[in-house]
Amino acid sequence: MSRFTPEDRAAIGVLADVLIPEAEGMPAATAVGVTDALLDQVANLRADIVADLLRVARNKRGEDPSTFLARLKADDADGFSALALAVAGGYYLSPVVRERLGYSGPERRPVVPGDALDFEGLRLIDAVKARGAIWRDPAHERG
Amino acid sequence: MSLSDEPDVLIVGAGPSGGMAAKHLVANGFSVVCLEQGEWHSSDRFLSGKPEGELAGRQRWHWSPNHRLIEADYPLDEGQSDVAVTMFNGVGGSTVLWGANWHRMTPSDFAVRSLDGVADDWPLTYHELVPYYEEAELDMGVSGHDGDPAYPPGHRFPLPAFPIGKVGQALAAGMNKLGWHWWPGSNGMPSRGHRHLAACARIGVCSQGCPEGAKSVADKAFWIDAVAAGATLVTGARVREITTNKSGLATGAVYVDRSGTEHHQRAKTVILCANGIGTARLLLLSKSAQFPDGLANSSGLVGRNLMLHPVAAVIGTFEENLESWVGPGGMSIYSMQFYETDASRGFFRGAKWALMPSGGPLSIHSGLAGGSLERGWGANAHRKMRRLGHNAVWSIVGEDLPDIDNRIQIDDQITDSDGIPGVRVQYRLGDNEKKLRAWHMERAAESMRAAGAVETLKVPILPFSGGHLLGTARMGIDRETSVTDPFGRAHDVPNLHIYDGSLFVTSGGVNPTATICALASRCVQHMIANRRDGRIAA
Repeated sequence: MSRFTPEDRAAIGVLADVLIPEAEGMPAATAVGVTDALLDQVANLRADIVADLLRVARNKRGEDPSTFLARLKADDADGFSALALAVAGGYYLSPVVRERLGYSGPERRPVVPGDALDFEGLRLIDAVKARGAIWRDPAHERG
Repeated sequence: MSLSDEPDVLIVGAGPSGGMAAKHLVANGFSVVCLEQGEWHSSDRFLSGKPEGELAGRQRWHWSPNHRLIEADYPLDEGQSDVAVTMFNGVGGSTVLWGANWHRMTPSDFAVRSLDGVADDWPLTYHELVPYYEEAELDMGVSGHDGDPAYPPGHRFPLPAFPIGKVGQALAAGMNKLGWHWWPGSNGMPSRGHRHLAACARIGVCSQGCPEGAKSVADKAFWIDAVAAGATLVTGARVREITTNKSGLATGAVYVDRSGTEHHQRAKTVILCANGIGTARLLLLSKSAQFPDGLANSSGLVGRNLMLHPVAAVIGTFEENLESWVGPGGMSIYSMQFYETDASRGFFRGAKWALMPSGGPLSIHSGLAGGSLERGWGANAHRKMRRLGHNAVWSIVGEDLPDIDNRIQIDDQITDSDGIPGVRVQYRLGDNEKKLRAWHMERAAESMRAAGAVETLKVPILPFSGGHLLGTARMGIDRETSVTDPFGRAHDVPNLHIYDGSLFVTSGGVNPTATICALASRCVQHMIANRRDGRIAA
């Protein structure tokens, strides 16, 4: 059984699409499912924000979403924080969004033993070595 | 061994300093019990290697005990602190979530008073500590590149450095244009398999917990072998008091287990390894008629001279995709170009810059960081998210000079889950620290531009960056101006020792774990060598 009613999801969705609209070649929050399975995934990971999120959803009744968000951010920091994290957290879990951003992380990039280290291969480090020591010797300075 | 027995040594805290002490003690035939308020944490509990790791890292694995809200933590009142304190309570201590930057302090760090006329000298030199650094680097599986000119000759690493990657190459080229020092990162994670540690896969999420078991956490570096060799490690054991006898010697500790039952663990010798806040907390909690101001506190310095090393950052944005989420995370390169004092800059001492992974989308989202609805959300958020992978981050750790008014105190208004008082943190950045970070941020931004950054952003204090907990039970020769002798033995209580970051006389401008480990080794080996001269509770 879901902890979010269809009305809760709808209320969150209206706010989510103001926070993350379709723009700049990126889809809107609800278009990638931020109020569907992604919302459940976020809630399972972050049970600590669910109560605040439900409170926000159930207080959102008919008010213009931008006005509501401005009031929420000013008057209810915990509620806004829960909504913001649920929306952004779900959005950037979306494979569609991650692909659109070209983001493949976090990913494993193990070092291949024996591979030449890039800083040596590119001779970048030679200039540092050539400039010589920069440490300060207390024994020398004390005479 | 039954806990009702009296072991030779009781260690409080299963972090790296406690682990280093346990290693030497069991190897020399001492019976050892360690009391740790947290638990073991297996690598498979960390979600950090998965897309959802960023979400989990913001609560379950948060750096701040006030945000984690788990039973092992104790609360901190940070209302009078310029930065939030971070730590982790569990087997491995704060290395569970550390960023694995590994640095020795430099020779000048041990002689700040002599060289610069401020703070104090340490009662030991860099060269005295070198063998202990070398031991710790092997134990912790440190990977790095030999021959850094910011250190005396002979600084070698047991494992080879990691590639510096696209972002490291870009910044290194910029530093070379300016003629400034940089060096491949030295990291507490093995570039190939090492003892109980897997080879690092450069996921870049060290500070959210390593999901591969590849970061050097003190559980794998020390405690597995110490327990196998006979040490007794009791988890879920929250110490509330160090006990003493009429002779003024430590006799053990009172602790509460997870059922709420109170125990007294006796011991002939007690070593505190509970970090720069936890150790001072325990000493201040251990008041008695004989020690009315707290244990080992005749100097009045327990809890004082707190140094937190708040981190500044400079972020550069580049046109090209640098894949800056790729590890090691850890640091790909670092710079100590401006580490030493230059009087013309208007402040004493310097800082180290570390090039760190920039994190994933939630880490760089300006709306989640508190940005306004207009700037942090909407179409603007999409535009800013194009920086993902295009950002380079210099993390700047600078000297944090000791100030007697920066301190921790017992706070009876807040308690942990066992009803033991929490801690009030009083910490303000001094004038020297403010000037230092402003100057360094300017230079770091300059290096970003030299590397090709099209935009730079300066962050004077990163949120939740007070994670180097130092100075609250400083070592020294004079019992009027220090809490322990140069080997961590309390001046006031001959069989009470302190081996953690509390001992630091000055902070240095580098991450402290290397020095914490080396000091612990030096101190415990001295105690073992002089065991016949030491007084113990009868």
